[in-house]
Amino acid sequence: MANHHAHAVLPDEPEKATLEGKNKVLGFWLFLGGETVLFGSLFATFIALRDQANGGPTSQALFDMNLVAVATLLLLTSSMTSVMATLALHKKDLKKIQLWLTITVILGLGFLALEIYEFVHYVNEGLKMSTSAFSSAFYTLVGFHGAHVAFGICWIILLQLSATKKGLTVVTAPKFYLASLYWHFIDVVWVFIFTVVYLMGMIGGKVG
Amino acid sequence: MGAQAHNEEVRKPKVKHDGPKRHIVAFIGSLVLTALAFIAVAYEAIPSGFTVPFIVALAFVQAFFQLYVWMHMDQKGHEFARISIFAGLFVIMMAIIVFIFWVWI
Repeated sequence: MANHHAHAVLPDEPEKATLEGKNKVLGFWLFLGGETVLFGSLFATFIALRDQANGGPTSQALFDMNLVAVATLLLLTSSMTSVMATLALHKKDLKKIQLWLTITVILGLGFLALEIYEFVHYVNEGLKMSTSAFSSAFYTLVGFHGAHVAFGICWIILLQLSATKKGLTVVTAPKFYLASLYWHFIDVVWVFIFTVVYLMGMIGGKVG
Repeated sequence: MGAQAHNEEVRKPKVKHDGPKRHIVAFIGSLVLTALAFIAVAYEAIPSGFTVPFIVALAFVQAFFQLYVWMHMDQKGHEFARISIFAGLFVIMMAIIVFIFWVWI
């Protein structure tokens, strides 16, 4: 079978075996550099405006540490499972890739559900997008991250579906690798969100 | 086909791939750093003026842990990865410093 043949001759690092694959990885890192700047400017805006509650709810009044801790644990674990998928990719084991990516998607969905619940809760507490400079900056930054999670989930699911047909080849391998990179990046951004937005928001100290 | 499968087994990989061990170490490291940050805030375990720099430092350590281990930035051929991430970081740092000190309401 064609698929099996492709599997048998698959090179050691299938994601970088072709020029196209290499270029994809390179291009993706440039994209991640741009994403860094995007999130960075949202972070800068948030840090500058986070104490401007305009009479609305403050971060100290709203944030719940347990919820953030669970969300963090979910996303961190999902980052771990996506690295396991990359390891399976290097072993050319499509079944394991699918398994780890499925776990990643489930954890990602759990994270997203928590975030939706959280936002609904905050809106009910009176923190709307236009309530204050703090609320706008908060929803934009955290919402943007949530949108990235949602996009990543859709991306990985589509990849998994297409891989059931196409198998693991030098064409599909870079796609898995990039999706995993993207997912890690989302987790790295979350590290700064839980630190700067949530933990610093609960202390209420002002930087600078 | 059988011969091919056999070939696959005996062929030595050109690139050495370490097993899941260092990734699991990175995971546990990240968990510990995260837990430290949460504990520092929840129990006010350290002097209050020092909490923010402490947790931000923890975040940076964890981020670089993940960038280098999980996203393979420690491997060869990642020069452009480093350039883009550090260029991005540079822009961010400028933006944050500017926003903190120049924005007033």
